[in-house]
Amino acid sequence: MAALNRQLRLRFLLRSLMIQGSWNYRTMQGGGLGFALVPMLRKLYGQDREALNASVGRHAGFFNAHPYLATVAITALARMEEEGATVDQIERFKSALVSPLGSLGDRLVWARWRPLCVFVALVPFLAGAPWWAATCLFLILYNAMQMSMRIWGLRLGWHEGRDVGRALMSSRLRRLPDRLTIPLAIAGGAVLPPLVLAFGGPSGASPIPVIGIALVLAALGYSRPTTARRAVTVGIVAASIILVGLEMTVW
Amino acid sequence: MALLGGLLGLDGISCVQSMVARPIVAGPLAGLVIGDPVAGMWAGALLELVSLKQLPIGANRHWDTGPAAVAAAVAASTVSPAGTALVVGVGFGALVGWAGSWSIHAMRHLNAQVVASQVGRPMAPYELDFRHLVAMTIDFVRAVLLTLTAVLCVLVVTPHVGGAPQSAVTFSAVALLVAAAAALGVVIGTMARGRVVVIAFGVGVLISTVVTLWLR
Repeated sequence: MAALNRQLRLRFLLRSLMIQGSWNYRTMQGGGLGFALVPMLRKLYGQDREALNASVGRHAGFFNAHPYLATVAITALARMEEEGATVDQIERFKSALVSPLGSLGDRLVWARWRPLCVFVALVPFLAGAPWWAATCLFLILYNAMQMSMRIWGLRLGWHEGRDVGRALMSSRLRRLPDRLTIPLAIAGGAVLPPLVLAFGGPSGASPIPVIGIALVLAALGYSRPTTARRAVTVGIVAASIILVGLEMTVW
Repeated sequence: MALLGGLLGLDGISCVQSMVARPIVAGPLAGLVIGDPVAGMWAGALLELVSLKQLPIGANRHWDTGPAAVAAAVAASTVSPAGTALVVGVGFGALVGWAGSWSIHAMRHLNAQVVASQVGRPMAPYELDFRHLVAMTIDFVRAVLLTLTAVLCVLVVTPHVGGAPQSAVTFSAVALLVAAAAALGVVIGTMARGRVVVIAFGVGVLISTVVTLWLR
């Protein structure tokens, strides 16, 4: 196996940043996967236009994964192409990767890391830190993980090739969502008191009763998420419409 | 502002997904452009709590938070007093985010025509590159138009708004707190469940209460 040269690795990384550029209900990320693989396919098939076009067309078919972990699929497929895997092997491999890459990425990034970064950035802002500090903290924390995952995925996919599924299942990344559960819940709880003081804190009096009421509201949101989400959205929109109407009346 | 919304819309799904389009970043950025990043940050922070529950998984429809945060920040910066401005800003943001989710839905159908109509057939690399970039351009134009429409709506409404009574300001603060607290619970309940989660959330509230009161 030849090493993945730096230029190709950079191209894969840059194109992987746009993997969702043509997301659609028919092939989902398929167009993006084909787009990301184009540099490798050009290198492999060179002047054989027919084989090149057939290969690009195949890779633009159905595919979906978490966008950050899609780099695993990109380089693993690139290696399989280089090793001369059959069309059938490649298609079966793509189908097999969709579920593990999607579920791991969704659990880790959308359900743990992103809300954790938001809470970690919100607490100091609500407690009085400057806005830019909170914004920068969020962006740095979040994107450190994002870029690490993309680069790790590029290496893993190329290194493991068709065995990447097994490597993925035994990786530390798989256990990370569970390990982030408690920090996420603690950080979420830590948002509540400064939030109360920022919006509902009674001037001069102890804010503890209001924090208690906010805790009850959070518990309602936890136990009845669908109802609470609808009520929150409708409530805010209705309140803003009432306020605009009220202020226009005053004017 | 519309161009900013376009770039944020692009970051939301099509390109990079660095989360610059999240309200906690897009709100203060838009606020910075119009000269009030703090108001933008407050609107962004609240919109973030309200929208954080929505996960961009598969074909899930979710708010387009970039243009939504721009609209929220513009509304929050132009309405006074501040308490009322935030409710109006977050309300506008929620409406724009919801409208954005439908525009993304329509764009995904359009993308199927642009990119996926050739599925299974041989395709030249430059053709795939071109179709992919066209789809990204459509996303950019979609977000620009959405932001432009939202900001124009805000600018039409806000000059007529002003001088709310104190009761409206108090009502605004209570409405925001209720919404934010419930949204926080919804986010935690969506991301993780179980007794350990509830206990950890309580520990977080306790530690934060002690530290906040001590700092106060």
